[in-house]
Amino acid sequence: MLLEVRGLTKFFGGLAAVHELDMHIDTGEIVGLIGPNGAGKTTFFNLITGVMRASKGKVIFEGEEISEKKSHQVAELGIARTFQLNPLFGDFTVLQNVSASFHLHPRSRLWDIYFNTVVYRRNEAYILEHALEILHLVGLENVKDELAKNLPHGYQKMLGIARALAIRPRLLLLDEPIAGMSSDEIDFILTAIQKIHQQGVTLLVVEHNMRILDLCERVLVISFGRKIAEGSPKEVRKNKEVIEAYFGDAYVA
Amino acid sequence: MKRDKKVPSATALSSHIEKRIWEKAALYTGVVIIVALLPVFLRSIYVMHVLILTFIYVVAAVSLRTITISGQFPLAHAGFMGIGAYCAGMTSKWLGWPPWITIPTAGLVTMGIGMLMGYPFSRLRALYYAMGSLFFGIGVMQIIQAGGIWTGGYSGLIGISPLFPVTTAKIYYYYFFLGLTLVSIVALYRFEFCRIGMNLKAIAQSHLVASSVGINESWYRILVVGVGCFFVGMAGAGYAHYNQVLSPASFNFLATLWLVMYVLIGGIGSFAGPIIGTFILILIPEFFRDLRMYSPFISAAILGIVVYLMPQGLASIPQLVRTRVTERRNGKR
Amino acid sequence: MEQIVATLTNVLILSSMYILVALGFAFLFNILGIINLAHGAIYMVGGYFGLALIRLLGLNPWAALVLTGLSIATVGLFLERFCFRPFSGDFNRTVMICVVITVVLQTAVNIIAGTQILSLPPFVEGIFKIGPVSVSYERIVTFALGITLLVAIIWFVHRTKWGQQMRAISQNREGALLQGINVHYISALACFIGCGLAAIAGCLMGAYLGLGPFMGDFMLVKVLMIVILAGIGTISGIFIAGLILGALDSILPLFISGAPSDASVIAIVVVLLLIRPQGFFGHEA
Repeated sequence: MLLEVRGLTKFFGGLAAVHELDMHIDTGEIVGLIGPNGAGKTTFFNLITGVMRASKGKVIFEGEEISEKKSHQVAELGIARTFQLNPLFGDFTVLQNVSASFHLHPRSRLWDIYFNTVVYRRNEAYILEHALEILHLVGLENVKDELAKNLPHGYQKMLGIARALAIRPRLLLLDEPIAGMSSDEIDFILTAIQKIHQQGVTLLVVEHNMRILDLCERVLVISFGRKIAEGSPKEVRKNKEVIEAYFGDAYVA
Repeated sequence: MKRDKKVPSATALSSHIEKRIWEKAALYTGVVIIVALLPVFLRSIYVMHVLILTFIYVVAAVSLRTITISGQFPLAHAGFMGIGAYCAGMTSKWLGWPPWITIPTAGLVTMGIGMLMGYPFSRLRALYYAMGSLFFGIGVMQIIQAGGIWTGGYSGLIGISPLFPVTTAKIYYYYFFLGLTLVSIVALYRFEFCRIGMNLKAIAQSHLVASSVGINESWYRILVVGVGCFFVGMAGAGYAHYNQVLSPASFNFLATLWLVMYVLIGGIGSFAGPIIGTFILILIPEFFRDLRMYSPFISAAILGIVVYLMPQGLASIPQLVRTRVTERRNGKR
Repeated sequence: MEQIVATLTNVLILSSMYILVALGFAFLFNILGIINLAHGAIYMVGGYFGLALIRLLGLNPWAALVLTGLSIATVGLFLERFCFRPFSGDFNRTVMICVVITVVLQTAVNIIAGTQILSLPPFVEGIFKIGPVSVSYERIVTFALGITLLVAIIWFVHRTKWGQQMRAISQNREGALLQGINVHYISALACFIGCGLAAIAGCLMGAYLGLGPFMGDFMLVKVLMIVILAGIGTISGIFIAGLILGALDSILPLFISGAPSDASVIAIVVVLLLIRPQGFFGHEA
């Protein structure tokens, strides 16, 4: 198991945004996480990546408990994520966004950075090369010198994914990667996600859009912070509780 | 929608930007040469004295701006300069240490105290950080003022040993401080434009994203405060040895405001901004020396013009001109 | 006994004055979102303006007090409209404009009034005696005035529609806008009140301790300490912090004389600040 979550709970005041959630992801899977708005999906991501501290429960990554770790430590361990509202380094160019994200691999020491040693220059060249590679993978190499804040919405989302890839994650958490995209863009992103998966990255994808389900081997459904279904996309689509959660009980056939 | 001007990138260079960098380098070298040769042409002790003070404040202003790269705006900077000054002053007077020891020591002590402040403050968001650091800066100076004989209290510390033997000509001081200032500027420049600076700017733009790529936000925030304080501490120490007399009133709240003005007038977004700002705000009142009492009005007027008309500071004038010119050119089509 | 009464009055007066100015500052901080670096200068100008009205126009101290409060409050309206509103949200420019205001006001006062200590004539003559205890009417009146204003402010914030709107804005500016609250109008009102309070405190303190060229800095430090210790968005916190500070400033000098007592108070606050930088009574920064 790459990632294991046991009894994860987060209270905001009296409200449980995430309630006794148990789940796991095995290496090499693409797992989908769906649920209506407000179900707690983004909170779940925040709990895993150290943006928020859980009220109860454990998160275990590659055998090591990471519940108490801070975001940058979680990133160091190999978990990357995108954000729903997609903040970026707005005043940096697209290329700078990605190369700034190469902070971890390779990691130059302060001394090397400051005094511009051979090691640093070698690392920077490596970073440049691989940043361009990633931009090519997500289709942004043509706009590499544009300021991130000037990019159209779809490009910005791709940049968010590119940024996350820069830390060479073993587990990539995608928060609504295709929300608000046109049909062409969706095709492109789905292909990109598949390519990323082929390169050996395990994926956990949060989405509303059912098209994502086709990509996933396994799907979890949460509603009001609780897991209500788990299984293959086909099974989940037919699940009564899922339908009820999304569409109301009038639709349960 | 108005497009923002491109930022010269640290890692990817296109030939267009390379040319701009060469232009800039040539400009700056020229300026440095002129400044270095000034005393040869203007054999005025008073001019050298004013310029020496300007150099010291330039280092203070640039180091202040360096801290702001990370999104933190410390309003305690004159207080830190005071810490450096008093540290050098006291170790020189009471322990008899020579300047080449007191100055770096002052830098280190200031850095230490700065990081001490930086540690709990690094969790605060912009506005509250500014307020807290403002208080910290004033508070530290009040504490120093209460140091009785050791610090000289309200009336100040006197009898600090000079940098060079008493009979040395001013011109040696001039080149000493020019050298020290240039070294500090280069050091701070490198700091900003290497990956360290890039990480700081990343934190300033989105601390969420920065954390998610592994940048340790707290650590970097404290680091930059430490570095900024190191240099302003040394500037203060230099001031102590040059002036040989220290008064706590030189490092009070108003002094911090002046430093902030130097940075903001020149432009907080550009490295050269604080340098330009310091020169302008110190030198222009010199032309109105007879109206010494009214010179703060002149500085306030300059600041007022900047804040209403060119909020990016005077350093942004070339860019504003360029934008106007291209707009006009495009409008003509 | 004499000593205790004197100290007690000192505590009450200092605290109420500090709280008056700190409240004004906090209004500006919470509602307009600015750190008004010029607040100390406004306080000082209030004091000197009052003095000018008394000396140059021959007004009696009460009239001067009221007129000063209203005039400076009106200046506050202009400040809000032309200096604070255009830059709301832009921290750098806000700092710049506060610096401009501070420098202009302080320099003007220095030029016009010089650097010696002046003082406002007392508002009420005479001494009040109960048995062995005597307190000047002046002090009683000052304290009474301070308390009245504070009570009025509390009533205003908690019982009137505008006060409610102020609280709404300080909690969530955008939300308040969406609810139809006229943020500009309320901000102007907050600035009016804030500057007015500072000016009145300036006059009262001018009568109590005298006017000096550094009184603005002195007060700004106190205000910062109070607001920082209190935290964001809390009025009761300001009252408590103000009381504590007034008490420290009155009692500590009895045991430690001179500069070290100021420094000790500041050292205490610095330590508290390092322990809990976001304040003790407010909600998180």
